[in-house]
Amino acid sequence: MKFHIPNALVVSHKKIGDKIYSLIFNAPEIANSASPGQFVHIRCSNGLDPLLRRPISINDVDKEKGLVSIWYQVVGKGTEFLSKVKVGECLDVIGALGRGFDSNIDGKNVLLIGGGMGIAPLIYLGSVISKKNTVRGIFGGRNKDVIPCILSESNFDYELCTEDGSIGREGLVTDLLEDQLHKEKIDAIYSCGPKPMLTAMQRISSREEIPLQVSLEAVMACGVGACLGCAFKGYRDGEEAWLKVCKDGPVFWDSEVKW
Amino acid sequence: MKEVKLSVDVAGIQMKNPVMTASGTFGFGEVYEDFFSNELLGAMVVKGVTLKARKGNSAPRLVETPAGLINSIGLENPGVKVVLQELLPSLKKYDVPVIVNISGNVVEEYGELAGLLSSSSVVKGLEVNISCPNVKEGGMAFGSSPEMAAKVIREVKKSTNLPVIAKLSPNVTNVVEIALAVEEAGADAISLINTLLGMVIDIKRKKPVLGNIMGGLSGPAVRPVAVRMVWQVAQRVKVPVIGMGGISTAEDALQFIMAGATAVAIGTGQFVNPCCCVDVIKGLEDFCRKNGIKNINDLRGVAWNE
Repeated sequence: MKFHIPNALVVSHKKIGDKIYSLIFNAPEIANSASPGQFVHIRCSNGLDPLLRRPISINDVDKEKGLVSIWYQVVGKGTEFLSKVKVGECLDVIGALGRGFDSNIDGKNVLLIGGGMGIAPLIYLGSVISKKNTVRGIFGGRNKDVIPCILSESNFDYELCTEDGSIGREGLVTDLLEDQLHKEKIDAIYSCGPKPMLTAMQRISSREEIPLQVSLEAVMACGVGACLGCAFKGYRDGEEAWLKVCKDGPVFWDSEVKW
Repeated sequence: MKEVKLSVDVAGIQMKNPVMTASGTFGFGEVYEDFFSNELLGAMVVKGVTLKARKGNSAPRLVETPAGLINSIGLENPGVKVVLQELLPSLKKYDVPVIVNISGNVVEEYGELAGLLSSSSVVKGLEVNISCPNVKEGGMAFGSSPEMAAKVIREVKKSTNLPVIAKLSPNVTNVVEIALAVEEAGADAISLINTLLGMVIDIKRKKPVLGNIMGGLSGPAVRPVAVRMVWQVAQRVKVPVIGMGGISTAEDALQFIMAGATAVAIGTGQFVNPCCCVDVIKGLEDFCRKNGIKNINDLRGVAWNE
């Protein structure tokens, strides 16, 4: 079930990195129906420019308090507007949208691999699946500025790496992944981040024959499968097709993506 | 004040209010069900249908512009067979007229589509798309010449008894000329406008943003053009006009009605506000009540009065 909450009260809004913010709003209907990997579609204007909503993945929910948390990076007009919203003001939100991660698993050894803002949905996923599975995170980015500084609140183990070594190990998430694969048998990998990172992830997971789910992003209009705009080339029933990030995803099995 | 009469008659299609969905923005009626009941709509115009399945255009298919959106979806749809067998039957449960938008590569395909869709008891009208800017063959090419436009409409009229609505393109020199030609050819109503052909260039990549280079501009940015065209066409044709282009509020819809539209359709506005259609319906009723208007039909074309 999707909900339109035109007046979701902002209860917390903090800067947690270079142009990176954490925002928490009240939307019990969304908090209670969401699952890891889904996203919210937020109006980022009081007028007509920007016109369209911005899709942002859910970073966590508090079902009891009815709260939804997102992380976002200011990259354009929409997110610039969002960064100016104050605690006590309201947002117009639709959610929870899309198909999330396959989180209905038990007794598995799972790696969560995130790059930059792609870490956000993995925090939510990790907090849910770490109850019944062994979960380890490998999170990275260019430098410490693009790694959200409130990561330590997560309830599963993780390792950090940056390309310049400004925080965590120096190197790429794929380096840490290779190390981990030497140490233990991994049952599944869930990943979200820039496309080159996901492509590298796919190469490794297919070599090791480890099931991989990736969360993709795209420019969207409707967010609900109406406009067919957020298309990317993938496979449906073994045939090439234009899949829609908003409805068929944003989370896909690696076999559904044309890499 | 008592009840306001919002119901309208578009070429024999009885609608409880003048608000329709615009083709290609509402799927086959399933996408906005979580937000409002389809029953509230005046009519449902479903995604454009072609004879054979179409995979659609390459990505990126969308680019946002100031107060607007350019799309190049390319009529992605599963083809008329699947639409008839799998998608339309589920719309039977709604007490709302369903209008199917059709597109062909050649004139004969429009006729074939019209014939096939007439067999469905769900379909209450056909909207003939002679204005899609996003396909190589057919589409806008048919809607750019009065002779071709008339030819397509005659072909469709030959193949169906359903009301036939011609959806016109704004990408023409003289929209009135096309409107008169389709009316003469037997169109029972006219929809306008389809999207305006446009493009955006990514100056970093030094390339067009859209995979298909050009696309159709919609949203509030196009509204003044749409209102102007409805104004011009509605004064010259006898058949009802359905106005669309950038409607997101009741005030926007009222401009079209005052310009001469019998009904209006909402598309991009629905992407921004998933309850846009029902908000507009409610806003129309409120406007009428506040202004002592008993029947929405009394507002049609009032702006023509000197």
